Amino acid sequence: MSLSSQGNSVTARFARWALACAVRHWPEENRAWGLALAAEVDETSSASETVRWSLGGIMFFTRSVVSSAWKWMKLPAGSSLSEGADGPDAHSLLPKRSRVFTGAVLAVAALLLALPEGREAIRTVWSSWEGYQESGSDQRMLDELTARAEKEKDASTLAFVALSTIDRAHAAALTERAVALDPQFIWVYGARNHGQRMDPPRAEWLARLEAADPGNAVPELLAADALVQPRLSAFLMHGGNNAQARQLLASDATWMALMEHAYAAPRYDSYLQRHIQLARTIWNREKNLPPTTVLYGIWQHAFPNLLTLRIYCDIRIQQARTAREAGDTKRAESLLEGLDTFGMTMADANGSELEKLVGFAIARNANKEMAKLYQEPGKTEDARRVAARLDQIDERVQEMRLALNPSRNARAEAFRKEAELVQGFGTLAAIAGFATLAAILLLELLPGGIQGTKSFWRRVACWVVDYGPATLLVACGAFLVSFLPFQSAFQEYRSSSFRLGDEQVLTDAMGSLLTIPEYVVGVDASVELWSFVTIALSALLLFVLVRGFYRTRRVVANPA
Amino acid sequence: MGVRIRLSKQTLTVLDALLTRPGQWQHGYSLSQSTSIPSGTLYPILMRLEKLRWLETRWEEAKTPGRPPRHLYRLSGTAREWARQELRAAQERHFWKPAPSEHQA
Repeated sequence: MSLSSQGNSVTARFARWALACAVRHWPEENRAWGLALAAEVDETSSASETVRWSLGGIMFFTRSVVSSAWKWMKLPAGSSLSEGADGPDAHSLLPKRSRVFTGAVLAVAALLLALPEGREAIRTVWSSWEGYQESGSDQRMLDELTARAEKEKDASTLAFVALSTIDRAHAAALTERAVALDPQFIWVYGARNHGQRMDPPRAEWLARLEAADPGNAVPELLAADALVQPRLSAFLMHGGNNAQARQLLASDATWMALMEHAYAAPRYDSYLQRHIQLARTIWNREKNLPPTTVLYGIWQHAFPNLLTLRIYCDIRIQQARTAREAGDTKRAESLLEGLDTFGMTMADANGSELEKLVGFAIARNANKEMAKLYQEPGKTEDARRVAARLDQIDERVQEMRLALNPSRNARAEAFRKEAELVQGFGTLAAIAGFATLAAILLLELLPGGIQGTKSFWRRVACWVVDYGPATLLVACGAFLVSFLPFQSAFQEYRSSSFRLGDEQVLTDAMGSLLTIPEYVVGVDASVELWSFVTIALSALLLFVLVRGFYRTRRVVANPA
Repeated sequence: MGVRIRLSKQTLTVLDALLTRPGQWQHGYSLSQSTSIPSGTLYPILMRLEKLRWLETRWEEAKTPGRPPRHLYRLSGTAREWARQELRAAQERHFWKPAPSEHQA
């Protein structure tokens, strides 16, 4: 039975059609063999035989395509198999390395970056250029976390996302949900920064927080801030000074009452420690979470307004001074002792360095005023006690300043140097990667435009294709190696037992990465760039003028 | 001839089939039928032999209008003796033996 008798079978027709398609796309150099195989299909004696023959043809086609692709890969970028019989055209410039070599080097570089360490490095460095704002991928990751936490009724993750997301409405809903699931997360009410121009913290949240955490000054301080923040911001924005602000706030009886109550509270806890602990617990559980997301929430932690804390202290000192001048020493003493106690409570609490410094400043100002009070004869013992207290405060402040001074902080300095390497190698890798891809595309997609020539751009493209991949590979390796200290800082932070100071390592590491992007996109770099452009253009203008002048003189001297 | 390559069992079978009627042109389909080697294996073997110049090929004029011309194959003169030697050596090594039906034929 030949084709005529079985050719109408649907299967056979489909098999012949598939074979015909394969022949149309057969690699040029051995298409004749595809035609030879296809010509025999008409000799098959049954539909199954036709199918088997065609399947064999498809296999042969696949093999030919792979073999042809491999041959193509062994040629340099920009060359084609049609010129392969006698080697690439000797007149056209081509890279020295084959596509296989270029592809292999690029693949190894891509593999390095695709490793978990590489992805973490890219994510971290990339977000340093975005100013640690929540990127689209970070938001997706937070959304996934939320969905899972909702499903598992996991209050801690919901609280973490509420503190880490930028979306305020979403954060409010998540806070409510987390507190409803587990009331111990009520502190989240007072830990999310609502900011100067954002929505103030909800009054009912602060009332609930006050009720749940009696004796803590922070909920009342936050309530006092919410009361005057919009007025105070507008006042300062329109040029009001601190003395006028003091008058403004002193005239607000409600604010004064809230501040008085807060200053009399036995504890000061701005919930920073709990916030950091929560962030680390979640980070340990979700190791893929970018450090930027973890730090964003911590860096946005809400603190009582440190300016109004200082203003209230100044108001009380002024009142103590007035009492002293009026001869009411007892009242002056009571007011100043209250300030000293609050200041030291704040300084000794597990808060941020800044809160501690403000606490010391309040206590020092109170003690300085107290020293004036004890200058009178017969108060020698009290004067000595106050002097000792002032010395103690100064000593502790000095210690903190030394620890906070970046130029004397070896760790921060080391991170800064390593950050320069990370940013430098990262930038080099990005430039080498983009340049290589652009050069390959130029040679492959526009062979007609520049082939056969030895133009400058073709030379550049060939050079980039030869050396770009190796540069990329080396830069990627160096990028990952220089990122190791940062990675180990993250790891150390995740695995260490909780101490507030541990967070400082992470802040130093991440802060150092920001230095270069801040410089590049900052004002200094813009000034330098435009200064350079102005000088370069001026030099060019001068060159053109001088050249024109000498040419004119030559023409005048030799008119012929 | 010069170039020697390692021959697979299928290649030896194809050489054996080509030697059954040396000097006579054969079609790919008939070779596939006589050797039971599927087209996906047979054609790469033929292509390889042709590249080594052991196989002569030509296109046959279409006998029926509308049908494509068919390809024909036979071993080149010098390749025939060499193919016989290879088949003998393979048999002695017990690496390959001719199909019984072919022998009977």
